[in-house]
Amino acid sequence: MSVNRTGRGLASAGRPRSRPDIAALEAALAAEQAASYGYGIVGSHLTGAPFAAAAADCVAHERARDSLTGLIAARGGRPRPAAAVYQMPIKVSTPERARSLAILLERQVTAAYLGLVAVSDPALRTFAADHMRAAAVRAARWGGRPQAFPGLPRSSLRRSG
Amino acid sequence: MRAEPTRRLVLAAAGAGSLTLAGCKGMAVLGPRPKPGVDVVSLEHAIAAEETMIARYQSALTALGGPPAGGGGAGKTGETNAGAPARATVARVLAEHREHLAQLRARLVLPPRLATASPRPGPTPPPTPAGRHRILAELAAAEAVASDRLVGKLPDVPPALAQLMASIAASEAAHVVLLGYGRLAP
Repeated sequence: MSVNRTGRGLASAGRPRSRPDIAALEAALAAEQAASYGYGIVGSHLTGAPFAAAAADCVAHERARDSLTGLIAARGGRPRPAAAVYQMPIKVSTPERARSLAILLERQVTAAYLGLVAVSDPALRTFAADHMRAAAVRAARWGGRPQAFPGLPRSSLRRSG
Repeated sequence: MRAEPTRRLVLAAAGAGSLTLAGCKGMAVLGPRPKPGVDVVSLEHAIAAEETMIARYQSALTALGGPPAGGGGAGKTGETNAGAPARATVARVLAEHREHLAQLRARLVLPPRLATASPRPGPTPPPTPAGRHRILAELAAAEAVASDRLVGKLPDVPPALAQLMASIAASEAAHVVLLGYGRLAP
């Protein structure tokens, strides 16, 4: 609803009102955990510069995952641990498919931050938007087709006319 | 839609104030028009930024030799092949900016510039530089700035608009890659 202008920092202590923040943080965390796992598969099918890019992107997702874990804990939540195995949206057997998987993972991550970009805490909004941008940039680097509205479901767009 | 409660609140507050002052203020009870809320101003800024961006891309497209894929053949004949991929990219990104503008305008339920009587001048893009590489570099830089500005406005807008603006900021960040900056070597 209204924007919280009290200037709470990212690591501020949890209060009852931060419950929606925790739910949004959890959604982003789940996607980052899946992406961290998925990039292991992506990297295993690549060599040379693309492999290095996959390794760097994997680290980016692990860092985001760790940040989210810290943000949830700082608000009194209990971060859900990662699953042992994740079902990937596509099977990967070639470098081409590995790139496609990377793009899909980035799209999932972008969408997973949508909830967090709508919470009242302005610092969390900015955090979420920066991670949406980073994911959209990585998707583009992997050759993903450009999207006018990364992360947004079609249903949220208005008919213009 | 979301901007409306803010305005209603402003109007309600103005009304309440005018009642208490009615005894001594005479005709001034209606007071000045309330200023648009910070969310409305942020949305108007975002709309103006998209309009300027579209003007930039239109100028760039002209400088690069007209629309891509030989539509009408109005392009500069010397550059047709070498500039074709750049034109196609610029045209594609331009189309996305038009989509951004349409969605942002759809969220503005109030008449634009309600508080100021003066009409808004049309967007005037800075002059397009010469040379394909410089044109693309300039567009990429403009995208990065626009993306940062949108993210900077997120704390001031309602949740649904924040989602739209964050998505547009992500799209603009990806445009920088599309324009040839930071693409992964094949």
